[in-house]
Amino acid sequence: SRDELVCGSSNVSLREFGCEQSLLSRPDGSASFVQGDTSVLAGVYGPAEVKVSKEIYDRATLEVLIQPKVGLPSVRERSQEQCVRETCEASLLLTLHPRSSLTLVLQVLHDDGSLLSCFLNAACMALMDAGLPMSCLFCGVTCAIDADGQIITDPTAAQEKESRALMTFAIDSKECRVMMSSTKGSFSVHELQQCIAVSQKASEKIFQFYRDSVKRRYSKTL
Amino acid sequence: MPRNSGIILSSRCVSGGDIERRTSSHAAVWFITFPCAMPTDNKRVRGPEVSQSPSLFLCEPAGALPSHGPRADGRQRDQVDVRPVFVRCGLVSQAKGSAYIEAGNTKLMCCVYGPRETERKDETDMKCGRLTTDMRFAPFSCPERGSWIQGSQDKDLSLMLHESLQPAVCLHKYPRSQIEVNVMVLENSGSVLAHAVTCASLALADAGIEMYDLVLGCSIRQDGTSYVVDPTYTEENRCSSVSSENQGGLTVAFLPSLNQISGLQSDGEMAEETLTAGVRTCIEGCYKLYPVIQQALAKAVRKAAPPPSES
Amino acid sequence: MAAGFKTAEPLEYHRSFLKENCRPDGRELSEFRTTTLNIGSISTADGSALVKVGNTTVICGIKAELTNPTVEAPGKGYIVPNVDLPPLCSSRFRPGPPSEQAQAASQFVADVIESSEVIQTEDLCIERGKLCWVLYCDLMCLDYDGNLLDACTIALLAALKNTKLPEVTISTETPEVNLAKTRGLHIHKHPVSASFCVFDDSILIVDPTAEEESLKTAQLTVVTDEEDRLCTVHKPGGTSLSGEKLQECISRATARQREIQKLIDKVTRSVKTAQ
Repeated sequence: SRDELVCGSSNVSLREFGCEQSLLSRPDGSASFVQGDTSVLAGVYGPAEVKVSKEIYDRATLEVLIQPKVGLPSVRERSQEQCVRETCEASLLLTLHPRSSLTLVLQVLHDDGSLLSCFLNAACMALMDAGLPMSCLFCGVTCAIDADGQIITDPTAAQEKESRALMTFAIDSKECRVMMSSTKGSFSVHELQQCIAVSQKASEKIFQFYRDSVKRRYSKTL
Repeated sequence: MPRNSGIILSSRCVSGGDIERRTSSHAAVWFITFPCAMPTDNKRVRGPEVSQSPSLFLCEPAGALPSHGPRADGRQRDQVDVRPVFVRCGLVSQAKGSAYIEAGNTKLMCCVYGPRETERKDETDMKCGRLTTDMRFAPFSCPERGSWIQGSQDKDLSLMLHESLQPAVCLHKYPRSQIEVNVMVLENSGSVLAHAVTCASLALADAGIEMYDLVLGCSIRQDGTSYVVDPTYTEENRCSSVSSENQGGLTVAFLPSLNQISGLQSDGEMAEETLTAGVRTCIEGCYKLYPVIQQALAKAVRKAAPPPSES
Repeated sequence: MAAGFKTAEPLEYHRSFLKENCRPDGRELSEFRTTTLNIGSISTADGSALVKVGNTTVICGIKAELTNPTVEAPGKGYIVPNVDLPPLCSSRFRPGPPSEQAQAASQFVADVIESSEVIQTEDLCIERGKLCWVLYCDLMCLDYDGNLLDACTIALLAALKNTKLPEVTISTETPEVNLAKTRGLHIHKHPVSASFCVFDDSILIVDPTAEEESLKTAQLTVVTDEEDRLCTVHKPGGTSLSGEKLQECISRATARQREIQKLIDKVTRSVKTAQ
């Protein structure tokens, strides 16, 4: 059940998206997400028993682990884990599973730019696949500002390298507002606002892609 | 360990590493590889693999210290001439008790947490509390940059601090609980252990932990026939006389009102009479500190509970 | 009575204050705590600064060492920032390797240095391809009462301004260091951060204490420089934020940048005249 989407006809251009859910048998929910050549595999375990030291009495404990393609996770991955975790925490209804644990593992298969946004998209699809109750969906969009001040959405690694500033946002599906923001490089307030507007526009497309891909999946099985 | 210039040495020398030799275009290069600690420290932002302190390449190497006459900071040799200390209690808002001590350039801070439930259930003592001590050096505290990873020196010092403090704390009053003492050395300019003991006992008192007495620390450095009290970092690490007799350091932890010694640590080689004379000198040094520490404590108590106004 | 209410219902306790547009410590919603700065107090470091934002205390010590530049960037030196949250600063931190919070803070500081170009790593090069400086910027929290990131960026900036590097000459392959001749670093930009907490998905407060942080629904840190350019807009998840609220944060952050730069300049000047 592989779904693909080609975007790029309108003013916001994204690379070719692909998503497959329930592709792993062991986790409670899984998804792979492909943005151009960037590809991430996500697995969700839980709700399960939680370690006493990590137990929270009124909600579930969510742990996010990011595994790089090669080597061990470093400080950068830890910071990305924090971003993904707190975004998921805000959209998941964790109070429905007090004193339990949720684990989200994100494995990088290939990094060709916009990795953090791909993490977010894969995470959201995997959480959906696990059937966990959520208050809203979220998606990740990366914008790069190049030397001429042009905004490139969903940039490749080469475009990221040449960019003057790089921003990744998580946008919620309910009000289309910024849930998470992580930036690099310096930029003006106006540029930030432009990038947020572009990301919000791009998020509509991504949510439509989510919808289509889930619809297609269930139309086959049901 | 070789320290001459031209040899690149890892600045993070902690004991327990395998030394392997590699060659480079410049000179022989020694790398110290660590089986677990160094290469996999992926929890910190990493810099270059090796770097050296600029002090290894000084154009004028520092000379030996004179073995007689006044000391570099103007204090007198062979006299109980301790550095003036600045002490303050209760600086850290989050801790139960805290203290800061500054003696010359030696600056350290101590925080006390507890008494609280023991974390390790298997070590819970039903009759007696547990005292834990942790002493660390900030990476920038010494002339040579230190590692974030706690070395064996820190662990030794933590243990000695523990042994010096434990006899003074009424641990039987705190069954099934633990009291944590954390010491951070912000700048090391000698006599760190001695001041850590003083600072920690002050923090314990500030935390309201019941004690038999305060613990004061003082150290001396014996250098042949003469000695220096409360030595600085350079005095501790550079010997001046050629003879190897009576070379050593001594740190004493002393309970002033009980007139008892709770901790004694000495290194180097000293004759019996020299050592006993040294202990006596240290005790004298402790008595010099005593009024300053008492005042600081009284000030903290007065601040916490001001006396009722007369009206 | 109030103390019991605070322990039993911390969220309700804070809400009752926020309803009246103030906070338990008497501050207004958009008010920072008193910030004090002490520069150059650690003589074993090449540059140092101690910052207090309310109770939160962070010390930054910079040590410069010599090393070889990488093959990919032969004309650049290194800046290695690390943040430590030792068990000394709060009972919430356990001994052992850095926690996720400490690691995320280290990465944040590294990102601010890179994004703002506070120091250009080219300035740290001594001889291209052969020798350069590495600046180890070690930040340590001594008292944790919230808003670690703001305290860290101020401490770092002040310590960098205080850093003096000795002169290095290269003669016959070995470098020679002259401690008598030193130079300061060239500070290109003055990035200052301002942190905000979102309460109950809608109320915005600045400079949160540790207690407020534990009750927040989202946190946001904005870093700006003296040219009002944004260096970092860091919001690690949490509830979503509207555009107007974000704009409010940015304006508050630019004002904060002015205040802190003034403070750093003032303290640096007083240190210079004292010498």
